Amino acid sequence: MGSAGGGGTAGPDPGPMRPAPAAARLGPVIDVQNLSKRYGQATAVDGLTFTVRPGTVTGFLGPNGAGKSTTMRMMLGLTRPDTGTARIGGRAYRELARPLRQVGALLETSAPHRGLTARDHLLWLARSNGIGRSRVREVLETVGLAAAARRRIGGFSLGMGQRLGLAAALLGDPAVLVLDEPVNGLDTEGIRWLRDLLRARAAEGRTVLISSHLMAEMSMVAGHLIVINRGRLLADTGMAEFLRLHGRSFVRVRTPEPGAARFGGELERHGGSVTRAPGGVLEVAGLAAGDISRIAAAGGFPLEELSNRTGSLEETFLQAIGEGDTGADGGGDGGGGGAAGRGQGPGGGGSSGGGTAGTGGRNTHV
Amino acid sequence: MSETPAAVRAEIIKLRGIRGTRFSLLLFALVSLAIAVLGGWSARGALDSDSPALRSDFTPYQAGLDGVLYGQLALIVFGVLVVTSEYASGMMSLSLLAVPRRGRLYAAKMTVAALAAVAAAVPVVVLGYLATQAALGPHGASIGADGVPRALAGAVVYLVLMCLFAAGLAAAARSAVVPLAVLLPMVLAGTHILSLIGATEELSRYFPDQAGRELLTVGSPHTGFGLAVLLAWTAAALGWGWIRHHRWDN
Repeated sequence: MGSAGGGGTAGPDPGPMRPAPAAARLGPVIDVQNLSKRYGQATAVDGLTFTVRPGTVTGFLGPNGAGKSTTMRMMLGLTRPDTGTARIGGRAYRELARPLRQVGALLETSAPHRGLTARDHLLWLARSNGIGRSRVREVLETVGLAAAARRRIGGFSLGMGQRLGLAAALLGDPAVLVLDEPVNGLDTEGIRWLRDLLRARAAEGRTVLISSHLMAEMSMVAGHLIVINRGRLLADTGMAEFLRLHGRSFVRVRTPEPGAARFGGELERHGGSVTRAPGGVLEVAGLAAGDISRIAAAGGFPLEELSNRTGSLEETFLQAIGEGDTGADGGGDGGGGGAAGRGQGPGGGGSSGGGTAGTGGRNTHV
Repeated sequence: MSETPAAVRAEIIKLRGIRGTRFSLLLFALVSLAIAVLGGWSARGALDSDSPALRSDFTPYQAGLDGVLYGQLALIVFGVLVVTSEYASGMMSLSLLAVPRRGRLYAAKMTVAALAAVAAAVPVVVLGYLATQAALGPHGASIGADGVPRALAGAVVYLVLMCLFAAGLAAAARSAVVPLAVLLPMVLAGTHILSLIGATEELSRYFPDQAGRELLTVGSPHTGFGLAVLLAWTAAALGWGWIRHHRWDN
């Protein structure tokens, strides 16, 4: 239908349109306590407890089937938990009055009726929660769908559908956003726009929880992480702390090629574990940058690069998942989970160094 | 409590925006009126020529109510579609995010279905009756004839209750196929056949459509009975649908 570019060419408006609410009150906390859900034999969510605080974007990470979507649906009163509670600002979602004005949500499984126009879809949502008609036009402009307002949703591209879902989430100008895979289907421009929007909302003091399987994207937008695997909590920490605790940190040094091998041997003699990369690059764990510098000076190796690095979020995430697995399985599949996982990663793409996800890994934690 | 009226207004926007529901209402009006006119014409021809093809119990009053008996099929489809348009897509999640109280959403949807059915049934029943009488020409009867206003009102009640009965079954089934496969044949022929067989004649009186037909029979002595039976069926269907809606968990 040639509709794919429709949303993109309309030019999404970066950032929020209106000034932040006068009183910069902090958004409510999402409080999840001992949440569990089983489907027959399969445990989707297993005793999850965490809180999502306002002021920063919180990333919700976990492999496919970890229970992210189920947890989000329980937060939003769509799925009944077997045990535990999920409260937003101290109340269950089902008890919220005019919930769209308090919580904006985007879920993968929910899709508007294909026969409705974008405008009618937003209009019934607005009506149901006493939101003015003018907001419909505003959010359509915010997400870059103003030109498609009168088109039926059935003819929308994936990206346009996603923008419409985001428009619905933003409709009530809520203090809480719960978005499941919000960047799915968005083009580069759209992803960037969404990133700016989410950061701006969080900076205004709103509570923002997003799940994504795109680690590079998550590392750029989230300040806090909640990591789950097989329905259980693995980590609930700041992004930097997560990378520090679960990631490998190493020093990257570069010296001209002929001496690199000898330099590597020298570093190993001093207790470093060294991974060689092409171009005379060495990744050294177990030695501080200062020590490496002294060893280089003593041995007469010229250094062209010396920098502290941590693994990418993707690498660190897979590492953490691997650690969790070996713990849960009583070491059944050894340390293989982590190492194998690292090898499978589709390239580094992280925020800081360690771009060679496949090459590093194995000998860093010996 | 302004949230329930707000939910009702939202449901009205959905109903107007979705083609299937709008189209089925339109079809109800067209079929009812077309058959009202055609029935009147053919009856007039038969009366003029003193043809024996005419039913022995023919009255111009009752003929004026024949159209909606066929048109009701479209109204039943409407009742089913109003509900199943939520299940066909991933719409239900969105509706429950906007209106998280299960009972409120269900009540709003059924209220809008009933309002739409009333809004369509009143003009269609009255115009259908008038159209038949006009087509009957010299054989036509007045709308104020004895028992006719009551039968017209009964027809509206019957149509609205059948529409809600269908909507309740659709909510219980969460799909359009089963309720349509049960209701359309039943209304078209099934219970009528039962009423012709001696052994099941008594039984057939308790089926919703046969019982409800007493409501639009001019001068029927069993109006109260018919209303009670149809109301019971409708309440049961709506209640079952409510339980299934309340348990929706996905």
